[in-house]
Amino acid sequence: MKNNYISQGRRVLFFTFCLILSPFFTDALNPTDVLPTHVLNHAHVQQSEIHGTISDASGVPLAGAHIMVKTTKQGVVSDFDGSFTIKAQSNDVLIVSALGFVTETISVNNQSEINIQLEVDFTQLDAVTLNAGYYSVKEKERTGSIAKISAKTIEKQPVNNPLAAMQGHLTGVNIVQTTGVPGGGYNIEIRGKNFINGNTEPLYIVDGVPFGPESLGSIDVSGQINGGNISPLNAINPNNIASIEVLKDADATAIYGSRGANGVILITTKKGKAGKTQFKANMSSTLGRVSNFLELMNTEQYLELRREGVTNDGFGPFLDNPGFDFFWPDIKSWDNNRYTDWQKELIGGTAYRNNVQLSVSGGSAQTQFLISGAYQKETTVFPGDSNYKKASVHSNINHQSSDNRFKVNLSTIYTDEKNQLPRTDFTLAAYTLEPNAPALYDDEGNINWENNTWKNPLAALEEAYQVKINTLISNARMSYMVLPNLEFKTSLGYNTYSLESYRTLPSSARNPRFGFTPENYSSISTNNSKRQSWIVEPQLNWNKNWSKAKLNILLGTTFQQENTQQLVQKGTGFPNNGLIQNLSAAKTLEVRQDADSQYNYQAYFGRFNFSWNDKYIINLTGRRDGSSRFGPGKQFGNFGAVGFAWLFSEEGIFRESSILSFGKLRGSFGTTGSDNIGDYKFLDTYSVTGLDYNGTSIIAPTGIFNPLFGWEANQKLEAALALGFFNDRLLLNTSWYQNRSSNQLIGIPLAATTGFNSLTGNFDATVENTGFEVDLQTINLQGKHFKWTTTFNITVPKNRLVKFGDLENSTFANRLEIGKPLTIVKLYNALGVDSETGIYQFEDYNNDGAISRTDDRQWVEDFEPKFYGGLGNVLSYKNVSFDFFFQFKKQSAFNNLRWRATPGFRGNGPVSLLDRWQQEGDTNLVQLASGGLSPSVGPSDLNQSDSNAAVSDASFIRLRNISLNYRIPTINNSLDINVYLQGQNVLTITNYDGADPEQSFKNALPPLQQFTLGLQIGF
Amino acid sequence: MKHKQSRIYLKKFVSDFSLYRIRMIKLRSLFFLVIGMTSCSDFVEAEPPKNLLISETVFNDPATVESALANIYYNMREQGMISGRFGLTTLMGIYSDELDYYGFDVNSAELYNHNVVALNPIILGWWSNAYNLIYAANDIIVGVENSNSLNTVDKERFKGQALFVRAFMHSLLSNIYGDIPYITSTNYLENNSVERLPVSIVTGNIISDLTKSVTLLENTAIIGERLTPNLSASKALLARMYLYTENWELAEMISSDLINRHTLESDINGVFLKESPETLWQLKPGDSPRNTHEANELIIQVIPGQQFALSNVLLDAFEPGDLRLNNWTGSTTSTDGTITLHFADKFKATFAETESLEYSIIFRLSEQYLIRAEARVKLGNISGAQQDLNAIRNRAGLTNTTANLMNDLLKAIHQERRVELFAEQGHRWFDLKRTGNANDVLSPIKPNWKETHMLLPIPESELEINPNLLPQNLGY
Repeated sequence: MKNNYISQGRRVLFFTFCLILSPFFTDALNPTDVLPTHVLNHAHVQQSEIHGTISDASGVPLAGAHIMVKTTKQGVVSDFDGSFTIKAQSNDVLIVSALGFVTETISVNNQSEINIQLEVDFTQLDAVTLNAGYYSVKEKERTGSIAKISAKTIEKQPVNNPLAAMQGHLTGVNIVQTTGVPGGGYNIEIRGKNFINGNTEPLYIVDGVPFGPESLGSIDVSGQINGGNISPLNAINPNNIASIEVLKDADATAIYGSRGANGVILITTKKGKAGKTQFKANMSSTLGRVSNFLELMNTEQYLELRREGVTNDGFGPFLDNPGFDFFWPDIKSWDNNRYTDWQKELIGGTAYRNNVQLSVSGGSAQTQFLISGAYQKETTVFPGDSNYKKASVHSNINHQSSDNRFKVNLSTIYTDEKNQLPRTDFTLAAYTLEPNAPALYDDEGNINWENNTWKNPLAALEEAYQVKINTLISNARMSYMVLPNLEFKTSLGYNTYSLESYRTLPSSARNPRFGFTPENYSSISTNNSKRQSWIVEPQLNWNKNWSKAKLNILLGTTFQQENTQQLVQKGTGFPNNGLIQNLSAAKTLEVRQDADSQYNYQAYFGRFNFSWNDKYIINLTGRRDGSSRFGPGKQFGNFGAVGFAWLFSEEGIFRESSILSFGKLRGSFGTTGSDNIGDYKFLDTYSVTGLDYNGTSIIAPTGIFNPLFGWEANQKLEAALALGFFNDRLLLNTSWYQNRSSNQLIGIPLAATTGFNSLTGNFDATVENTGFEVDLQTINLQGKHFKWTTTFNITVPKNRLVKFGDLENSTFANRLEIGKPLTIVKLYNALGVDSETGIYQFEDYNNDGAISRTDDRQWVEDFEPKFYGGLGNVLSYKNVSFDFFFQFKKQSAFNNLRWRATPGFRGNGPVSLLDRWQQEGDTNLVQLASGGLSPSVGPSDLNQSDSNAAVSDASFIRLRNISLNYRIPTINNSLDINVYLQGQNVLTITNYDGADPEQSFKNALPPLQQFTLGLQIGF
Repeated sequence: MKHKQSRIYLKKFVSDFSLYRIRMIKLRSLFFLVIGMTSCSDFVEAEPPKNLLISETVFNDPATVESALANIYYNMREQGMISGRFGLTTLMGIYSDELDYYGFDVNSAELYNHNVVALNPIILGWWSNAYNLIYAANDIIVGVENSNSLNTVDKERFKGQALFVRAFMHSLLSNIYGDIPYITSTNYLENNSVERLPVSIVTGNIISDLTKSVTLLENTAIIGERLTPNLSASKALLARMYLYTENWELAEMISSDLINRHTLESDINGVFLKESPETLWQLKPGDSPRNTHEANELIIQVIPGQQFALSNVLLDAFEPGDLRLNNWTGSTTSTDGTITLHFADKFKATFAETESLEYSIIFRLSEQYLIRAEARVKLGNISGAQQDLNAIRNRAGLTNTTANLMNDLLKAIHQERRVELFAEQGHRWFDLKRTGNANDVLSPIKPNWKETHMLLPIPESELEINPNLLPQNLGY
């Protein structure tokens, strides 16, 4: 098999080689076929030079406008200051065009200087082109569902990660930030949860190269901060992105076959523009802080509840017995008058982010380039000097031969990230530390252990955690027009993602009284991981236009290989803590994980697109995929889709309408799949664990053989209506979708008696996502100096479990219900506090007199958003532009009762706990206080946390982003200076009782509120 | 007009097409190239990774079978019931009357306070860990049986060890949870919906597995530090099972065999050292710590900071002059002098000790003396019983027993078990349970005590996954 594989690799290389060379063997073509013959005919005529500038209606120079002499078809591009020079005859006609403007035709008429003002083209639809991955399509002609966010919107947000920039802007895309710690991750769902196993990760493609979003973090090293989830997408600087397209329906995603089920995100980086060499510098400073603190008890309130709790538990007399001081140090031995606001102390700092970016771009009509470098440093809101540094270089070179037949594009992104953080997130400690907990440092500045009565949270600062990540994403795309209508393309991509992280546990971070020494305690865990992948995608694209019909056929194949390696080591015992970073100084060295895995993927794909009269468009796409993640005989799967569009506004009756300027009905249906379940899961295996017993290395059974393991299938159906009114000043896109996912690959939980927790297998279950998406764009006002545009989007999703074989008797019985969303939780029905006993009561659904987890959690709550969306406005007047963007979401979430439902337990909690039952007849909301020693309070505390009382409305309207930009007027037109102020998470309107409505976990830092001041200079 | 136009289009289409046809021939060869390149499906077969072994290859080589067995012993040491941390030694110590609990772990506190709920993660942890090891043992039994490459000597040794593991884990499970499934297959479909068997049948299966294990291990020499289960370990468990099932003749016979093969350590301070001759089977610690979890869990170094302290009732149970009180227990006093707590000090080498001095002893010969003593009383051999009891007493610096009536002697033996085997593998709890004394002993000191506490609950999540395990044990 190995040999075979090598020869396969060679073949791929050979093929690529052929493709690269192929343009040189097609010389037999007649050049007159491609070059206009009349160029030669006009060569003898005298030409003169014409100068001028191109500007928009308000006089702002337009760079990159295209000026072409009608007869010769020769053209130039305007410079940054709008100026141009072109040779033309005195009786020639110039055609001036620019993206987003109405094309002008001007006669030369012996003039030597021509200044042209272009009018904004409200019929933007023609100008907008969407990247659909293997092909691009005009907004007007698309048959699939593709949402786009462009640089204009991304640049206005002071964010670190491309996903953050998308939040709220796109219909059907729900993104939630998991932590406010720099470098953390995001959860993303495109059109809801398709899979019971919880996998919602879409396919990411950066400049044509698939980019694995899976974190290579190791729980051993980064488990307690960032949850081990380090987003590889951090490597992509949002400022380098030209556009992000999200492919949602079958028509758009089926060409990605087995990887398209959760949608596809295409990230396209910026390219250079022809014209004068342009330098740009962008500097900004951002201040970030936690915007909302919980209302926690003060010392007096806290101690009152503690004492009451201990007394209620029947241990009141012991409170006065000094022999039990050690048992309740917070009540007895600590200063009862001390108060520290731990939220202020531990997460109340200001996080600074400084960002510098320099770029240079330019080029000729044939070759354009862009090189951009950025450096960023970000600190945290935690104590200590943790920080996150990121340096990135992005370059793009684009060349086309003078006959435009050969094109090559090379894009490279290289990012170096270094993230030094405390070992744990301090948020949990900030919420739960006793308000009278001792000082962090003693008088001598050492960590205070207060006679071993507490765990000092700052000890975590002694424990260093660092992640270094290097990411390289490179892609070369070459194409050659073999025939006038036939293009031969190949895309070659290579990327590496390497992560080096460590965490140290020095003895100095532990209470000295335990006698830990560097020799017997200090340890370091390291994780060195690397993922490399290459992809080769040769394609043939045939295009033919007749006067009424247009045909486009695309055929291609993909070879992809991904190799992942992970080495996790732990060194223990060092001569002193200074040597802790040096593994060779460790007394013992354990290899915790030494793993590698390979993923091979091969596919054929194609597209057939036919349009008649620019009115009727049909689009067929298909893919045959093979993946090494499945066992013999199950490796290949077929996927495909059909999409159509009817531009009814082109029909006679609408043609003359002064109101309706555009109307399109489109629909699509098809299947995609998912193999996103990890490598080698079908095998019956033993794993090398890296551990040993008495020197014999250990292998442990880790997998049960399941040869029937196959693709998950996902069927997508969509119908959509797009309308443009008043010359497309108002554009309305509405779509309805229904996606059904079946053959679900789930880790079916197994009883422990099998020796395993779960088995991954295909399960006969179907999940349906339906939804309605509305997207509205309007140009409200458009004057000479003033412009006001509005965008609005809303998504109403609905998720439903349609089918699940024998759910009642399955392990999912208490998690799922037929007809209900996957996002439900089953909870106890809280009936409040019994006024006689003071204990929480719950509905006994099966009337057996006892509250049991299996039978009495029958209350269903759903955490899926009911609807979500965004509303943005852009106002510009002369040199000032002002943007504000609101995001909104209607949803429920766990509240503070989820983590603290009983007053009196050790550790602080919300002030709402004060409203507790104290004596018979009381009707308070919270049960009686307990010090944690009463047998009856414990279970009711747990049950309350797992009841509907712990769920509340978490809907919000958030002013997610504001941006104020001022373009400083300069004498020199070629100098462009902008000053901007941006804010992120500026204001949140919500009833939610918790730190952040989007984040209900108490142990993660909520997303920060950030303000940025920046300066951009271009010349 | 319209008609004419479309005919022109059609004509143009045809002529364009024929023009291209010639070039198409060229292209066709390119297409064949594409197809030729890509038709192999073996591209989508990936190399197996270096950290995974396909199961059947494990049983081709004795070294990999050793590695699979090593996994079992490693896990026994680190987690589950046998382990010194969160195992029977500490937690059944606080559940019974041996230890008091001062730690802050709510799940352990539930055991101490006798308000255990079926959701308690310790309950699930013990259960899952045990069945995980049983699966591992079963996979070895099946794998070894089907292997064509292993020789008979190796096969017997591996299978004997795996059968012992299966029996041992089931014996602990049934003692803790009562009726349990007895797993002998590796078929997950079968094991996922398995039913509970009455304790009597489980015990029968255990004895049958042990008998086979003893036969298979008969020819394997017991060498070195006794780090893997061997013939004596199998016999020791078998003797214990016969004691528990009151099969006195067999209990006496097997414990006699062990007593004849091994010798007691005469020095009270040498019993728990790794070289102790009376050790039948012990688990060697890893690199960190280099000594036992038992020492690290039980020894109180500072107050506060303690977790487990010896109860006063246990301290009072020692007779005056018992060397074990001085040598096997220790005490620590708080800095202000107000509190003194006693702790089990059988294993003495803590975290701070960088040399490896002690291993976790799972079976030792003293227990066999006490098993035989009890069996002999029941069989009417009073002097023999006294002799065995005195062997243990004398080593602890105590005089010969004065008990000579059957009941008195039985009491004396149970008392001796209490002070000899305290804070070791839950012996005290199992003795309280089997002798029917649990209720009398625990109800005065555990306010929440109920008769149903003789068994712990089946883990709630297991009942959810496999309803065939219902009903839950009484009282939960």
